[in-house]
Amino acid sequence: MRKKAKRDLTIEQQLARGPIDLPFLALVMLLTSIGLIMVLSASYASAMYNLDASVNTEGDPLYYFKRQFGFAVLGVVAMFVISKIDYQQFRWMSVFALGGSIVLLALVFTPLGRAAGDSDVRRWINLFGIRFQPSEVAKVGVILYFSARLSKRSGQLGPPKKWSKRTLTGRICAVLDRIGLLELVPYGVILVVVLFLLYKEPHMSGMILITVAAASVLFASGIKLYWFLGGGTLVAAALAFLITQTKYMTKRITIWLDPFQDYRGDGFQPIQSMIAIGSGGLLGVGLGNSRQKYLFLPEEHNDCIFAIVCEELGMVGALVIIALFVLLIIRGYWLALHARDRFGTLLIVGIISLLATQTFLNIGVATNAIPTTGISLPFFSYGGTALAIQLAEMGMVLSVSRQIAAPKAE
Amino acid sequence: MQDANRKPRRSEGKNNRSLFRRTIFLMVVLGIGIFLPLVAQLYKLQIVEHLEWEERAANQQTKSVSVAANRGTIYDREGRTMAMSATVYKLILNPMDIYGSIKKDKYMDANGKLDEAAYDKALYDLRKTVVDGIVELFGYDEELLWTRIERINSAYEVLYQELEEEDAERVRQFISENRLSACLQLTPSSKRYYPYSSVASHVLGYMAENKDSGGSKVGAQGIEALYEDALSGERGRVVTSKNGWGMEMISGYDMYFDAQNGCDVHLTLDERIQAMLEQTLAEGIETYDIQAGAFGIAIDPSTGAVLAMASTPDFDPNNYSAILSEDLQAEVDQAAQEMGEDSEEFGAAWKNIWNKQMRNRALADSYEPGSVFKPITVSMALEEGIISLESHYYCGGGKVVGDRTISCHKRGGHGDQTLTKAVGNSCNVALMDIAEKVGPDIMWKYFEDFGLFEKTGIDLVGEGKSQFWTEEAFKGPYGAQSVATASFGQTFKITPLQMITAFASVINGGHLLQPYVVQSISDGDGNTIFYHETQEVRQVISESTSATMREILESVVANDSGHNAYMSGYRIGGKTGTSEKIELKATDPDNDDVICSFMGFAPVDNPQVLVLVAYDTPKRSAPRSNWTADGTYISGGNIAAPMAGALIADILDYMGVEKQYSSDELAGADTMMPRVTGLELTVAKGQLQAQGFECRTVGTGNTVTHQIPNAGVSIPGGSNVILYLGEEVPYSQVETPELRGLSPTRAKVVLEDQGLFMKATGVIDYADSAVVAVTQSVEPGTMVAPGTVVEVRFVGSVMDYG
Repeated sequence: MRKKAKRDLTIEQQLARGPIDLPFLALVMLLTSIGLIMVLSASYASAMYNLDASVNTEGDPLYYFKRQFGFAVLGVVAMFVISKIDYQQFRWMSVFALGGSIVLLALVFTPLGRAAGDSDVRRWINLFGIRFQPSEVAKVGVILYFSARLSKRSGQLGPPKKWSKRTLTGRICAVLDRIGLLELVPYGVILVVVLFLLYKEPHMSGMILITVAAASVLFASGIKLYWFLGGGTLVAAALAFLITQTKYMTKRITIWLDPFQDYRGDGFQPIQSMIAIGSGGLLGVGLGNSRQKYLFLPEEHNDCIFAIVCEELGMVGALVIIALFVLLIIRGYWLALHARDRFGTLLIVGIISLLATQTFLNIGVATNAIPTTGISLPFFSYGGTALAIQLAEMGMVLSVSRQIAAPKAE
Repeated sequence: MQDANRKPRRSEGKNNRSLFRRTIFLMVVLGIGIFLPLVAQLYKLQIVEHLEWEERAANQQTKSVSVAANRGTIYDREGRTMAMSATVYKLILNPMDIYGSIKKDKYMDANGKLDEAAYDKALYDLRKTVVDGIVELFGYDEELLWTRIERINSAYEVLYQELEEEDAERVRQFISENRLSACLQLTPSSKRYYPYSSVASHVLGYMAENKDSGGSKVGAQGIEALYEDALSGERGRVVTSKNGWGMEMISGYDMYFDAQNGCDVHLTLDERIQAMLEQTLAEGIETYDIQAGAFGIAIDPSTGAVLAMASTPDFDPNNYSAILSEDLQAEVDQAAQEMGEDSEEFGAAWKNIWNKQMRNRALADSYEPGSVFKPITVSMALEEGIISLESHYYCGGGKVVGDRTISCHKRGGHGDQTLTKAVGNSCNVALMDIAEKVGPDIMWKYFEDFGLFEKTGIDLVGEGKSQFWTEEAFKGPYGAQSVATASFGQTFKITPLQMITAFASVINGGHLLQPYVVQSISDGDGNTIFYHETQEVRQVISESTSATMREILESVVANDSGHNAYMSGYRIGGKTGTSEKIELKATDPDNDDVICSFMGFAPVDNPQVLVLVAYDTPKRSAPRSNWTADGTYISGGNIAAPMAGALIADILDYMGVEKQYSSDELAGADTMMPRVTGLELTVAKGQLQAQGFECRTVGTGNTVTHQIPNAGVSIPGGSNVILYLGEEVPYSQVETPELRGLSPTRAKVVLEDQGLFMKATGVIDYADSAVVAVTQSVEPGTMVAPGTVVEVRFVGSVMDYG
């Protein structure tokens, strides 16, 4: 198909052809590249020793890197393709994205979902030869749908709906509407369904991330603050209950406070992670020179990859990478602030908040600043589909960035 | 935005502001806020706690294998190896890991029920493999091994302490064949070998574990203990990197810290002299039935270097925990019988007996030196000019000091004597007279100068202390008796080492020297890192006084109480001593134990060796008898002097000191028989006379056809050689006659009648009828060829008790 001349395009189409936000793109590419290099360094030993029982690397030290690289290329291509799409199209797509996510999440419990090893955890599915976590898709689905729907909130798009004052239901609904509960119901239902499915996997970190992403979109869209206060209180109460009343969570907290009490057991990973980080010192042991990756640090190319970064590149390298993340996040929010419409803003807020939370939780776990949860580091952790989906999300941000009006010439 | 324009403006504006504010809020919180604690945490881990984590990392990432340093070798002065180390292995059984290596969950069915029979069998099979292997390899007690392997709470059962390399290799093979590396471990350690076993054991010391040594052996006595740091060296390490499974990694991280091998110690001790000294002590103990052991020291009086130091009973440092002496073992057996082997009393008794053999009496114990001390008293008086060689002393058998009479050992008295004779007679009265003149003040000062109040500072562990009166008591109004008895070496106690050190200064020109046993220390590469220079503590007496003392002391051996130490050809000086144990006498008046000792040196004009030999308590033939069972009068002169004289002669021979003969001695000195066969009789006779030989002829004729002895054989000068003039030489052998008990003159005649020759040693004063032969080199009745030289040793009985 020949490319149409600009003058033949509608205004909408012309806007969608606007320039991509280069700083954001540069940061994404930089982080992806550094991430790839770190995957190579961190996974080298594990691949060589063929450590992971579920993966047969055949002793090829580059096994993980090659796969990650392939997915990175795929992801970058996807990012560009998606950035070309007029993001207004995402509005209608969001329904299918959410619906599809829920179906995928449900598929986990079918034979398509393959339990890893002999554990009962079912987070992965194999579809068309691709193995991925439906929760990654679900994040995007939830963010897309929430931002699409919240960009057209009642009262903003038209006069508030009149409730019949004559029926009891009508009066109750009117009250509920006034306090803002009624409009939350669909979001609540969706969240409960998604979270329930994740809970059944179980996938604690997925639940956290989807909750945070959904909450950030809801928050930005102007939902009344007391719902967040209430929700926050509820979550805090639930956490307090879990921590004090369930053995599993209590142990996590005590391990977090003093990992050395269970050196060989649950404390092993945080200790090894801290040893890696601490032994890196200011300047690190040098790229590729990590010692902790030689079978000491578990998950060294997945959840704990940041520890290897700290060990090899030292505090200086770690700060540079954190700075890149911070810049990316700030640039993301900046794009959100300048987006053409509410949908664009909310979409970016959702995606960037997800990214920020994920980054924070991963680094927090690696440095033992927060209790252990299995959360991967965006652009760094090994996981091809996750990387590709992240890059696709970045594509969405870039797509929004195309329609930002150029600053007026002074 | 077109849509928005149509909506109520307030609402839209408000909503957009809210969106803007809330996005800004998220940007601040999620973009910056949450990363601050992370940076803080990174700072804490990577900067503040960096060293701590780095150490943890190093601990787990590296495998540090300790490399034993070779312990240094101890050499004697001639470079003979006295102590050396070799690698041996400790075999450790790990019952805990054996138990743990059979995993219970392997024998569980789906319901978690343990198949006990299968599990027990697997454990039993593994244990049996280990037990059978060890029993087959080394014949370990099978029952005991089963008991030990079932101690599942123990991870460290030492089966063998010191396996030699070849045994260790067999174990290694067994381990690798059966994959038992978790069950059995070999750890290298070092074993000390003492090639000369008990020789110089007290000086060398031994290696043993103690509570601070952490399971390894460290020097526990003598040189091994004192020079532990120098000998042991520093352990090295090989640091290799390992991965999380403990496997060594081939990488550039390896670091080698070389083991610093221990230094070699070179002693002043001479193994040959040491062996001679120990032999002398052992012979004396045997000959005179010595009850309480013996000790001896040989030093080079001009440097203070200890050539030998021995104490009996002794031990074998290769196996120090065993009782070495038969006598002590008999005591142990007796104690075991009386107390029962398992009793605590027996344990204590055994320990006491064991301590006896570990004790270096020459170094650690003090004793009353007795008459050996007299030269010290004489030398201070000479030095102060209070007496001279011309002084005369009269001994009436005793001297009244204060309120009691102190008698001389010769109750009848020695009569009038010169100074030299008084020392020769070992006259107590003369010495008391001298001490009286010297007075307590000067005596005390000289005691101090001779180093009797302080340790000699020898480089050995466990030097004993002397025991004296207080200065006030000695110098006070009641000190006269102490002064009197001190003059002849009684009522105070010094260590044998102090005695010989002080004595050395009397004969070496007055230099009090610090005795020492380590001449030098060299590092692993052979560089000398320490060399002992002679340490002079002070000049005590003048060169001339010392020269006078040497003369006096030579006379003691040549003419008087030390005569039994006389060896022709060696100018030996010395002093005998028979010391009572006043301390024991105080509690038990019947106690008449004595220590018979002799201090001798040679050659007199240039002393090269000074020897102290002492025998503690020769057995008396009957209570209060002055004789031993075999009829030797109990005194230093009769028991210690002959032993010491022979020892000094042996040492001088070994050291290659040329013999010196006085003109009298020359007559009896060995001369080489010239070849006279074939010469005319007159010519032959002339030649023989020129050599100092006498001759008798057999047969008639003018030409010597045969001679006895043959040319080139050394026989004592003055011997009567036989010349055959045409007559056949009798080829038949002759019987050696009994010589013991004969005087030298008679013995010579008896031998020459048989065509044999006599080489006299010991006291050969032909005129002295009291001198009798005590040993002969060829036993009586033995058939020998004519012309054989029989060595006969003569000893005189010195009746003096001093």
